[in-house]
Amino acid sequence: MNIPKLAVDWLDNRLGIKDLIYQNMGGYKLPRNVNIWYTMGSVVLALLGLQFLTGIMLLVYYVPDTEKAFTSVTAIMNEVPYGWLFRYLHVVGSNLIIIFMLLHMMSVLFMGSYKRPRELTWISGFTLLNLGMVFCLTGYLLPWSQLSFWATTVATDAAGAVPFIGEHIVAFLRGGPSVGAPTLGRFFALHVMVLPLGLMGLVGFHLFCVRRAGISQPPFGDSYKPRLFGEGFEHEHHPDGVPFHPNYTIKDVSMVFFALAALVAISFYAPWLFIPPEALVPADPFNTPEHIKPEWYFLWAYQTLKIFPSKLLGLAAQGVAMTFIALLPFIDFGSERRPFKRPLFLTCFFLGTLLFVGLSIWGHYS
Amino acid sequence: MMRILLSILVVLFLCGSVLADDTVCIQCHAGQEGRLSAPVELWKTSVHAANGISCHDCHGGDPTDFGMAMDPSKGFLGAPAYADVPAFCGRCHLGVREDYESSAHGKALKRGGPQCVMCHSNHAVQKASIELINEKSCTRCHSYERAAKVKAAISTTEANIQQLETQLGELHRVGIDTKKLSGKLFAGRNDFRRLFHTVDVEKMEAETAGFATRLGKIGTQIKEIKDELSQRKMVGGLVVLLLLAGGCIAMLIRKSYHEEE
Repeated sequence: MNIPKLAVDWLDNRLGIKDLIYQNMGGYKLPRNVNIWYTMGSVVLALLGLQFLTGIMLLVYYVPDTEKAFTSVTAIMNEVPYGWLFRYLHVVGSNLIIIFMLLHMMSVLFMGSYKRPRELTWISGFTLLNLGMVFCLTGYLLPWSQLSFWATTVATDAAGAVPFIGEHIVAFLRGGPSVGAPTLGRFFALHVMVLPLGLMGLVGFHLFCVRRAGISQPPFGDSYKPRLFGEGFEHEHHPDGVPFHPNYTIKDVSMVFFALAALVAISFYAPWLFIPPEALVPADPFNTPEHIKPEWYFLWAYQTLKIFPSKLLGLAAQGVAMTFIALLPFIDFGSERRPFKRPLFLTCFFLGTLLFVGLSIWGHYS
Repeated sequence: MMRILLSILVVLFLCGSVLADDTVCIQCHAGQEGRLSAPVELWKTSVHAANGISCHDCHGGDPTDFGMAMDPSKGFLGAPAYADVPAFCGRCHLGVREDYESSAHGKALKRGGPQCVMCHSNHAVQKASIELINEKSCTRCHSYERAAKVKAAISTTEANIQQLETQLGELHRVGIDTKKLSGKLFAGRNDFRRLFHTVDVEKMEAETAGFATRLGKIGTQIKEIKDELSQRKMVGGLVVLLLLAGGCIAMLIRKSYHEEE
């Protein structure tokens, strides 16, 4: 008697799972020329899964108390068996997630995959990137180091520039006039409960959008023709394409392996890349470090605030830029997706990337 | 007991740093000219400033009140007389004071012999190093011959201490909890520096072996940690290779599908 087969048959008779699996795996066809950039989402998903696991391990030993947080993190690093490994994987993983999210977003931009009918996929993806950064910001405070304390002070202080309600926003974020125990409490709750739930929901919605709309044809090669979508719902079929599984999933697996190799290599050989010296000193609210800088993915925003004569203008500029990117499918709505037939877009794409990199480098050395 | 005292000192240093840059002493003297403002700039370069030790920690007075800052009722001491300097500095540097007073230097104080600031300077006092013993400095009072012997007697141990400090700094940078080892080294270094304030070459040579053993134990513990870090890297390297191999195999499988397609 083959028990697993019986169990599968039992489920199949009730839920039709074999058909469901076939429809979403072997029977689900992707364009023949999907490139490596299409695997970025899977890499992010795999890394998010790992963050979830390492996060749980850290949660077992971490103490969200201003008096004990730093000591508990030190104990994780030095006393808990393999605690250092879980922490390094978690810290490095969070940075890699942002890198792969950015790469994913840039490839979608370059190939014009955000256009109709994928507006919701784009918006949910862009929201996920921002959620990822909020994740990092809230996680940054938890070790209660000098870096945690002062970077959070600077980050929450920026919200004070919002007219009329700025002070209230800062007080709401901090739970008081300055960063302290209430801030740690709410950032901890956000980091381990609210944000993971939000992220899971949004990832689910993002994947749902991807599946419903179908995978977009890469806009390269002679076979590519701009596709016009009608008013009604239309799934982008690729009847002559390749099966999602195993032809495409093996490509995903390959890239996930390479990403994990990068994660392990950095975690074992250069974790200090993402852990500045100030992160190794316990928080001291009375001793301001000389050069406190946000993490690399916030440097562009940090520098923007410094360039403008007032914080409000800086915040407004950031708001305009972020809103523009979020609403891009509604601004750039033409059907042409081939990058080299969109010179204006291509110029903006490269200038925008240069601006992001330039501001970040400037912010790092300023 | 020693650890408790050290912890208290560290806490006092940290608390001091709160006010170090922001006392009325600094505010008032920084705005003055000549010899009245000179100490402020000198102090800013000092090891005291780096550790949050400010004017009032040595000179007394109330650092929060312009009116009472230099009031003797608030403990203001002002500048000590030449012969009172060892007692002045020795309020914090107790052990060093004890050894200095029993040394040839200390015994010569009443006859104009050297005191703390002769070698360490006053407001610009730097982190002590073996380079303080040099021909130019020592020959202001006597020949360099004996000082050279003192320097030779402590050079190896002092270099060892410096090396261990650097290694502990490197371990701390990669997240290792070095608090206990740093405490041991700090205590050892202080005891050793007490010893050479005796300027007694024979005593130094006799006790150096004991210090070498103490430092050796710290060095052994550092080596054990470094060995473990090396092992971690070996395992990490192996995992990276396995992951890369996994990625390459998956790519090859994908390539075989291409041929079928």
